[in-house]
Amino acid sequence: MKIGNLKWLFGKNSEFWPTNMKTGMWAWIGHRITGLVLVVYVFMHLSFLSTASVSSGGFDSLMEVTSQPLFVAMDFVLVIVVIYHAMNGARVMLFDLGVGIRDQKFVFWACMAIGAVLIVAGLWAVWDLIFVPSGGG
Amino acid sequence: MPERQRIATTKVAGTWAWFLQRLSAVLLVVLLGIHLYVSHFMDLDSHVADEALITFEDVTVRLDQLLYIVVDYSMLAMVLFHGLNGFRTVMFDFDMFIRRKKTVDAGLWVLGIATMLWGIVILFPFITGG
Repeated sequence: MKIGNLKWLFGKNSEFWPTNMKTGMWAWIGHRITGLVLVVYVFMHLSFLSTASVSSGGFDSLMEVTSQPLFVAMDFVLVIVVIYHAMNGARVMLFDLGVGIRDQKFVFWACMAIGAVLIVAGLWAVWDLIFVPSGGG
Repeated sequence: MPERQRIATTKVAGTWAWFLQRLSAVLLVVLLGIHLYVSHFMDLDSHVADEALITFEDVTVRLDQLLYIVVDYSMLAMVLFHGLNGFRTVMFDFDMFIRRKKTVDAGLWVLGIATMLWGIVILFPFITGG
């Protein structure tokens, strides 16, 4: 890939320049970014689980670290990323089926609204683990 | 236009890649729901008071049942296909390595199968109980 290609792809006259992008393009970019984040996460997830091959005690102490509020908050960010990716994916599949293409902006925001409800439900589920200090142990 | 880009990408990426990406997407939503419920919400006899904490023993109790082994392994297979195929699509979207499509495909298959085998081995200590 040459630098010239990058200018064509990301320059001021390109479709990826922020002011040139509309709803569908932002959704498309967001889908790619969240997708790449999730691929990286899967490999991290596997490497965390693989500590159990060394020793079960090592796994338990790693799990103790990852149950701390900071890590649960990061898990919640992961939940947001997954929900965005899934809801936008549902939108893409609706368009594949020919549903809602004419009202694509409305469909995008409707999917995001459902996603927002799911995110609030997720926040409710993890709230105590992030904001209520446990008594230790 | 994202539409123009997407049509072009489908042509490059292939119809099977397109179809299996959607099939694995639907399966992943279902499997992820099961995975999260089983890992974080289901009651286990061995569970200690701190509900945020997952222990080695907790996982062993779950993976004592064939159903959960099947769920975990099929989820890994789906996630690897969906993730690596998605990564392939992103590369082709940005005109990267399109001329080396066969090499990209072969590389991603090797990476995917190797990771699947690694993932299968990772669960062995949990399945055998230590």
